[in-house]
Amino acid sequence: MQLLRKFRGANNEGSLALILLVVVLGMSLLNPVFFSVNTAFSILRAATVPMILALAVLLVIISGGIDVSFPVVAIGSAYTAVTICLKTGFDPGLPAIFGMAIIIGGLLGLVNGFVIAKFRLPTLIVTLGTQGIFFGAMLVYVGTRYYPSLPASMAALSAVNVVELTTGAGRAYLHVLVLLSIAIAIAIWAVLKFTMFGRALYAIGGDVEGARRAGIRVVRTQLLIYVLVGMVAAIGGVAYVVMSRSANPQDLVGGELDIIAAVVLGGASIFGGRGSVLGTVLGVLLIQVINNSLLLVGVPSAWLRAAVGLLLILGVGVQAVSARRNSQRIHTVDDAVEAAGPELEKVS
Amino acid sequence: MKTEQAQPETGANSFAAMNNRIGRVVAEAVGRTLRDRGVSRMLIALVAAFAFFAIMRPQIFLGPINMQNIMVAAPEVGVIAIAMMLAMLTGGIDLSLVSIANLSAVTMSTLFTMMAASNPATGQSMTVPLVLIGLLVGAACGLLNGLLISLVGITPILATLATMQILNGIAIVWTGGKTLYGAPAALTTFGKTALGPVPMLFIVFILVAIVIATVVRSTALGRKLELQGANPVAARFSGIPSRSVLIASYTIGGTLAGLAGVLFLCRNPTASADYGASYVLLVIVIAVLGGTNPNGGFATVAGVVLATLTLQVVASGFTALRLSPYQYSIAQGVILVVVMILDTINWSRPKLRKPAVTTDSASLQTTQVGSIKKDKEQE
Repeated sequence: MQLLRKFRGANNEGSLALILLVVVLGMSLLNPVFFSVNTAFSILRAATVPMILALAVLLVIISGGIDVSFPVVAIGSAYTAVTICLKTGFDPGLPAIFGMAIIIGGLLGLVNGFVIAKFRLPTLIVTLGTQGIFFGAMLVYVGTRYYPSLPASMAALSAVNVVELTTGAGRAYLHVLVLLSIAIAIAIWAVLKFTMFGRALYAIGGDVEGARRAGIRVVRTQLLIYVLVGMVAAIGGVAYVVMSRSANPQDLVGGELDIIAAVVLGGASIFGGRGSVLGTVLGVLLIQVINNSLLLVGVPSAWLRAAVGLLLILGVGVQAVSARRNSQRIHTVDDAVEAAGPELEKVS
Repeated sequence: MKTEQAQPETGANSFAAMNNRIGRVVAEAVGRTLRDRGVSRMLIALVAAFAFFAIMRPQIFLGPINMQNIMVAAPEVGVIAIAMMLAMLTGGIDLSLVSIANLSAVTMSTLFTMMAASNPATGQSMTVPLVLIGLLVGAACGLLNGLLISLVGITPILATLATMQILNGIAIVWTGGKTLYGAPAALTTFGKTALGPVPMLFIVFILVAIVIATVVRSTALGRKLELQGANPVAARFSGIPSRSVLIASYTIGGTLAGLAGVLFLCRNPTASADYGASYVLLVIVIAVLGGTNPNGGFATVAGVVLATLTLQVVASGFTALRLSPYQYSIAQGVILVVVMILDTINWSRPKLRKPAVTTDSASLQTTQVGSIKKDKEQE
């Protein structure tokens, strides 16, 4: 029982991993083509950008907010950086382009954070408003042009692979940016786990008033959250532009709800205070694997949207039902001792 | 000064009339300011926006074509916004409304094309049943939302996010991602007819607004919706059947979305899965601007109607000024954020002193709830 509980994890990561495993195994039995390095690499590649964006959203959701402006921040900062390079005809190199985009993303995030933290407004409504502002501002002041080719340094990056294998089914590539998404995942995990800022996120998400009384500077932390989200989203935007080998200002926008769905599927609570990097990674991977396997089985791609919706209902529904069952259970002192397990016994 | 300059272009009479109208409207707005925050501020915004564009481009903006366009375009967004307001009134949100409207329009269009293919005459004669089917599709989808939210217990934002994806997916599969053509001629004619200068579509919108306003303001259901949104726990312990209230709210919202699907077809005899994708967030903007409290418990239909008109006026005014839709997108965002900020500035002073009291009462409430729960369990 103890082991089972531990495996399930705080946010159902265990169950999610199990579902993922079952899907992969089932697909491999149904269609041996599925179980190949090629498939794995292509799923990882497809998951790279959603993963980075989902990790950004995770930060907001843990803090009890919701951000719908991040796709615009992502594509806006990447597109602006690309435009500056192409218009001036000067290629400052990859670090500078990433740096430029991250600064722009951070500034846009600062706008969000300022309005939200300073005036204590509902985050969904504020980011809805800033989404319109950012999107319009990008198209009016930066440009509406589609750039089919990128600055040389970015174009070069889009052809770099970490691993290249020749398998029976052809050549398999693992794009270098996959490593970037893994690095960001580890970084955010470390921030959430080991820093005061990370603990403050959970505290604010759990109860703002409680966090304030516990001495957490809510306004400053919230500002920092949205700046950080803007910066991570900007990295995601540059990654997207590099991987699609072109810059289109209208891309990514409108996909915000899909990413939020992935994060929620990964066990993050929309009310805040709960969520983990592992869960988010599993949530994004699960959606990508299911998309990929539905296509392999021959289900028309049109069903993918519905499949994600169904998955969301199942995932969230199971959690809702079990939460209700828990709340209906009569809690006794013995129960608490058992739940706390060895730690409590150690103390006594 | 500027109005005088513009006078020779439009004629003194229409301007005098307009001035009169504005004068009356302003007087009414001032009278209402203290009563109703959402309505009054939207009335002021509407008048200000109207006056601004009327002064900037009187010829284009005040022309009958533009006025008609505003009144023809407003209903479909407005009806969905009213549905969103209902969901927000109970403290929820409904992201699936636009998908429901599209599914309803797609269903009607497909059925019509099927019937018209076998016999064109029966296709045309089936207008009323088709409209009913469209509404029924909406009601069924809304009921699904209501069941997921109240029985299964999924948070409204997630439940409707999921149904949005599912319904949209079904519509995409059904249409193959293409735009369907075909709607009963009666609907198209209805979309083009007008009662005097007022298009029928706009009259439908106003009728819907009046009906929903009456439901919210003077029926038991409306009061229950408000109480449910204001404080779900208190509502539950005062014997309000929150399940059936939520189901009713989302079903009515779904039916309204189905009606929006009918309006889509009236305006344009085409249906697609992706029509009005940008409406999802737009209607939230409208509902909030109209004075709906996103946390539930407070909303006015009049405010939502005025907010719809204001945004439509700004949109058409931007077109009259030859500004791009992207600039309109900026304006929309700025309006939303500024209105929200102005709201908190007005309200922040009494709020600052409150927290100590409110949190105490909140904790009191939870302890009471807890003790009641314990009592129940002991029984």
